[in-house]
Amino acid sequence: MLKRIEQSPPLTLLVVAAAFFVYGYSTSLFKITDFIIFTIFVLGFDMAYGQMGKLSFGHMLYYGAGSYGAGLCAIHVYPDPFLAILAGMIFGAALGLILGPVLVKLKGAAFALSNLAFNQLGYFLVLVPFAPVTGGEDGISLSFNSYGFIDFSDFNFRFYFYLACLLGVVFLYQRFTRAPYGIFLRATKENEIRVRFLGYNTQVFKVVTFVISTTLSGLAGALNALNLQFTNTSLIDPTRSVEVIFAALMGGAGNVLGAVMGGMAFMTIRQYLADYLVRWEMFLGIALLFIAFKLRKGLYGVLAKG
Amino acid sequence: MSEHILATQGVSKAFDGLVATNNVTYGLFPGETAGIIGPNGAGKSTFFNLLTGYYPPDTGQVFYHGREITKLPAWDRVNLGLVRTFQLVSVFDTMTVLENMMLARMRQGGSYASKGRFFFGRARRKGLDDECFKALATMGLEGKAGTRTSDLSYGEKRELEIAIALSLNPQVLLLDEPFAGLSLVEIGNISEVIKKLKGKFTIAIVEHKISKLMDLVDRLSVINEGALVCSGEPREVICDPLVRECYWGKEDMVCY
Ligand SMILES: Nc1ncnc2c1ncn2[C@@H]1O[C@H](COP(=O)(O)OP(=O)(O)OP(=O)(O)O)[C@@H](O)[C@H]1O
Ligand SMILES: [Mg+2]
Repeated sequence: MLKRIEQSPPLTLLVVAAAFFVYGYSTSLFKITDFIIFTIFVLGFDMAYGQMGKLSFGHMLYYGAGSYGAGLCAIHVYPDPFLAILAGMIFGAALGLILGPVLVKLKGAAFALSNLAFNQLGYFLVLVPFAPVTGGEDGISLSFNSYGFIDFSDFNFRFYFYLACLLGVVFLYQRFTRAPYGIFLRATKENEIRVRFLGYNTQVFKVVTFVISTTLSGLAGALNALNLQFTNTSLIDPTRSVEVIFAALMGGAGNVLGAVMGGMAFMTIRQYLADYLVRWEMFLGIALLFIAFKLRKGLYGVLAKG
Repeated sequence: MSEHILATQGVSKAFDGLVATNNVTYGLFPGETAGIIGPNGAGKSTFFNLLTGYYPPDTGQVFYHGREITKLPAWDRVNLGLVRTFQLVSVFDTMTVLENMMLARMRQGGSYASKGRFFFGRARRKGLDDECFKALATMGLEGKAGTRTSDLSYGEKRELEIAIALSLNPQVLLLDEPFAGLSLVEIGNISEVIKKLKGKFTIAIVEHKISKLMDLVDRLSVINEGALVCSGEPREVICDPLVRECYWGKEDMVCY
């Protein structure tokens, strides 16, 4: 059934929207907004991991670039929320464009660790040398213009706006994977050299894919900055890169529903388990072991079979 | 040299001190069908890899239509009409037969030229489908379009790979051991296809069994231990004492 939903883009959009509506209204719109942001991040991460087969240990860098891009734009340019979101995406894209040409040539552990290294570097840069601009560890608090009902300090508006963003990302993701580009991505993941011998400049397309991934991560980061009304170094903290990896693995890489389930499941564990267990991370560790040994294809893999 | 469509000038390639291609100067004439033979490990595949840009030569140059392409990336060479197949069949097992063909065709027509359609358009559309079915039909594979490629027999995969190569509009087609691992019937089929293609464009075939090439090629060259030993009319070449020496006792040599 899951496969049938995934194969129909309108149905996928409907199911994703319904899932967040039901979850949001049965718990709290305020909390679920976080879930939506994180799910966008998972989808961005999955463009690199699920679609290109490249696992990054440093995707918080691009998320952080989006947060700081939005924040700095609001403070130094103009406090328009949409301009801030755009700035966040541009920061994410620019970083992807600068680092991508080198990074996408790397495979496996080299790719994963180089991303981590750049994440570490970025973290240090905002923490110390750029502290006068970024506010260092304390970060900066933000406020944004509001126009009538378009008011980012109202969580109801945020919920709907962010959900619309998520649906836009889902739409794009499915558009890509069903286009000729999607066939190219699958082939490149299987045997990149062979794709070159069909006349494709694989390097260029891999950079493009990486930039799509970093731009979506930047979007998630920017939305989060608007959500929190501040940015600080926790939004670019490399140790948090594991969260998105975990969510992608948990949900199942390479498809929208897997990413959405992974994002929701991870956030649920984090939000609600943390109320009961002080060291909820240990539970995550155990769950990860279980996934690594038993559920190679994540929740999607299990549910799609049944 | 300028009458060659594809040529090398003293190319060499070594792997950790092992010289796989040794100072080879070779050329293909437009429209000819040339054979390259040599015993196992002679360096035939390495030579093809140098021609097609799989890796660059350590020394020497490669020319295409008289223009130097030694440093040109593989994809650019393909787009100039330099197309190859691999010794170990190389198609995409996780995709369907049709998708394999689409991958080759979708950047040929308008869909690649317009980037928007490449990223956002639908992969399945009438024009491209028709093109792909036609291309599959060249090897009689149109009935298998929906099959997952991993479910094809080895021979069918080989046919698919050749169909894909042909769909790339080659000017020069390089076939690395197209008969390896196939049954006699399949070998016969592929020989027939190659015979029909003869003259339409330039073809080079690598093979280590001489007998399969004898009635297929206009010219035969022999590579041994990385070096070009001799080149000429097939029947003369196989009677050359030097050739007999490197094949002696190893192969199905018959002097006609
Ligand atoms: N990538 C590589 N790394 C190291 N050695 C290599 C590499 N490619 C080829 N060789 C070596 O170079 C020599 C020539 O190999 P090549 O594959 O070109 O031979 P061949 O004539 O195609 O043989 P076959 O008939 O077995 O296909 C062999 O000794 C092989 O082991
Ligand atoms: Mg070989």
